[in-house]
Amino acid sequence: MNEHSLRIGNRGAPIHFRFDGKPIEAFDGETVSTALWASGVRAFDGGRTYFCAMGVCQQCAVWIDGTRVEACRAVARNGLDVRSGA
Amino acid sequence: MSGYDLAVVGAGIMGATAALRAREGGMRVVVLERDVAGAGASGVNAGTLSLQIKRVGLMPYALVGHEWWRHAGDAIGFKQTGGYTLAFNQREQAMLEDRMRQKRAAGAPIEFLTPREVRAREPALSNRIVAASYCAEDGFADSTRTGTYLRRLLREADVELREHSPVSAIERGFRVTAGGETIEAKRLLIAGGAWTASLAAMLDVTLPIRVRTNTVTVTEPGPVHLHAGIGHATGLLTLKQKPNGSYLIGGGWQGVGSPATGRGRVLAETLLQNLRLARFAVPSVATARVLRSWTGYEAFVADYWPLAGALPGVPNAFVLTCVRGGYTIGPCIGPLVADLILGREPALPLFDPARVNATASPALAAAGR
Amino acid sequence: MTASYDVAVLGAGPAGAAAAIEASSHGLRTIVFDEHIAAGGQVYRTSPRIEGNGDADGDRLRDAFGKAGIDRRLAHRVWHIERGDKGFGVYALGPDGPFNATAKTLIVATGAQERYVPFDGWDLPGVMGLASATVLLKSQRVLPGKCVVVAGAGPLLYAVAHGIVAGGGRVAAVVDAQPRHAWWRPDVLSRPDLVLRGIAWLNALWHAGVPIFRGRVVRSVMREGEALRVCVVGNGRVREIACDTVCCGFGLMPSTDVTRLLGATHAYEPSLGGWHVVVDDDQRTDVRGLYAAGDVAGVVGAAAAPFQGRIAARSAARNLGRTVDSEGKRERDRAARFGRAMTRLTQVDDEVIAAIPTGVTMCVCEGLNRATLEAAIDDGCATINDLKSATRCGMGACGGRVCEDSVARLIALKTSRTREEIGQATGRSPLRPVELDAIAGDFDYDALPMPAPAPL
Repeated sequence: MNEHSLRIGNRGAPIHFRFDGKPIEAFDGETVSTALWASGVRAFDGGRTYFCAMGVCQQCAVWIDGTRVEACRAVARNGLDVRSGA
Repeated sequence: MSGYDLAVVGAGIMGATAALRAREGGMRVVVLERDVAGAGASGVNAGTLSLQIKRVGLMPYALVGHEWWRHAGDAIGFKQTGGYTLAFNQREQAMLEDRMRQKRAAGAPIEFLTPREVRAREPALSNRIVAASYCAEDGFADSTRTGTYLRRLLREADVELREHSPVSAIERGFRVTAGGETIEAKRLLIAGGAWTASLAAMLDVTLPIRVRTNTVTVTEPGPVHLHAGIGHATGLLTLKQKPNGSYLIGGGWQGVGSPATGRGRVLAETLLQNLRLARFAVPSVATARVLRSWTGYEAFVADYWPLAGALPGVPNAFVLTCVRGGYTIGPCIGPLVADLILGREPALPLFDPARVNATASPALAAAGR
Repeated sequence: MTASYDVAVLGAGPAGAAAAIEASSHGLRTIVFDEHIAAGGQVYRTSPRIEGNGDADGDRLRDAFGKAGIDRRLAHRVWHIERGDKGFGVYALGPDGPFNATAKTLIVATGAQERYVPFDGWDLPGVMGLASATVLLKSQRVLPGKCVVVAGAGPLLYAVAHGIVAGGGRVAAVVDAQPRHAWWRPDVLSRPDLVLRGIAWLNALWHAGVPIFRGRVVRSVMREGEALRVCVVGNGRVREIACDTVCCGFGLMPSTDVTRLLGATHAYEPSLGGWHVVVDDDQRTDVRGLYAAGDVAGVVGAAAAPFQGRIAARSAARNLGRTVDSEGKRERDRAARFGRAMTRLTQVDDEVIAAIPTGVTMCVCEGLNRATLEAAIDDGCATINDLKSATRCGMGACGGRVCEDSVARLIALKTSRTREEIGQATGRSPLRPVELDAIAGDFDYDALPMPAPAPL
């Protein structure tokens, strides 16, 4: 991890998904929220990437492959289509 | 100490609209409410204002009540969206056609549509529809706003409303103890919904009222796919999508509970059947997240007609409850009962509570003659 | 068709894991549900496959949990529970779809959640809680920000500040609502190991040049381009601090949604985190067959939790006919002392609530600001449920979990009513939002058991 990264320590295999069409890099074991956060995405239309971080506040809810889930609970996987709107 | 001309027990749509009419007629009215205005069925129902789901014999009342809601408008989130009733097999189609013809004859502007016509107007609907009816007058309101709206109307009309004042004792004549205070009133109207039987019992009157525990579910706001309200030939589904995209799903699926012990509980098995039926009728409901399910109590008597009129065996006491479709009909039948109380002839017939073998203890009945 | 158990445990944190292991050791058929993919709860939260997260206590818990003879249902969201003649029906959604179980006994170990206190700007991106920051640091190994203001009260304050510094980030300031002496209470000394750890944290912060402001709170956060400007007040001083992230929290509150749904009696006690389910010395609630262990019964910390879990399990075992003596109560009570002392530090002054500007959104889900809520209170709303009916406050997706405590404080401030009078929101299901399709599952329309049609 370079000195500009928010990530602490080493990571495993890289993962790639899209958020509102934009490519986002994640690493094995990270949630969608973590990947967005580390990529500098702190908010989106209708929500925030992280507030409670435990699936309670629902402010990070996004659409992943047509299903609505909390981004902070969704494990990042290759090829996910993540959207802020339906 | 000055008394009231009328004490109304219950600040739901029934008690409140009756109180307003009585006040209009010049009476000094107090409304006694155990919780807050609209805390009962009036505030927790699915908000459906549909002529298609009304009983044939109650259609004239529904037509009048409907106008009141239209007039309430934005204050209560009234939306006239039109409504469809759907049938998915031949048995349901036969039921639909028979019932809707009768309801149309009773005054509801209902038309029949082909499945293709329905899906052209509402693409979000199931492609398994076999038959459908439509009524342009149908719509819904935001039932959660009922209490605030009624409270405002009562205040503007100078009707005294005492909330958090459960009635604990009633003496004939009348002295009513509520929330630790005792008031005097010449007349009494019990409009306590599911709590009516226990109130009548304070006057030794037994009313064979039973209670249904209806389940309603709301989903998370999201994209809007459905514009009209949806019903089912059997009456077992009501489904609407609010302007913010939340679906409200009802249809009388039963939870469990009793008014004496508090709010009822949702049962998973009946909830899931309700949701399955909703999803079958409107597939776009599938991806919505369920946020909350709850129950509300609906009082009824065996013949499913209202109790609206004099309380048997107790002079100057009246009762109004057990109105199926009461949310729509309340603003019609409440004032009708008030007219009776005012000594006027109600414009539409009422429903004599004495018919249900309501009994007053013999001694009291004799004293009342 | 539905699997049946002697004991179902909700939550695989320190209380739940201990309860489940203990229950199964007495031959009880035991199942555990947890929403996360690994055991450990929040306090030992970990994400497998991320290097460097986890700690010795958490790893030991996960190891014992993994070896025990219990049915583990991790990554399962329990959305509904109902009590019937056979005991409890638990309805869950797992990675493979719906999964339901019945159990004679239910041990609720759902822990605690953060207490959120609104302030001007709390809804800006880049503002989060302290427990939230802990999740980022410990289980996701990501910094909340490059330059962070850490504010609030309680032990998480210094844990987070230290975690950021240790992770290579900068802490612009620590803003502690409590004065220094508030930390020094007799009960704190019952855990010299934790005291030493706290001192080590302070030392590290001092070495990193982190300013610590005591007796102060965040009054507002404003956005300034990409950065945030934090206004801190207290002791008659006002100070502005620039940063990119604010982590602010005032301790934890018991997560009582399940116990409320099941109708157990709750009590309000600030030194236990506020509303909590009431349990007797055997961790029993007043609902037959329902037990509660861990922070849900009062926020007393991770050390007491396993004792509570084991006591609940032993009590359940006795109830199901096993000969098991009751033990561990003294240890439980001793272990709770430190945790309870920490919870006492997290209480929020009335002043903090009173200072919330009228335009600040207090119920984020429904977009209700303080002015709107106050108007309804002025109009007569005197309880949480009244306010919910009148304004929809708490009816959004989070079910009031974020706003209820501060809204209740607002009612108290304006009406001088007690928290008991103001009450809690009625428990409702689903316990968390669930996709309709996911719980409804596949079905055959013609096989739908329809009750009799409505009367014509």
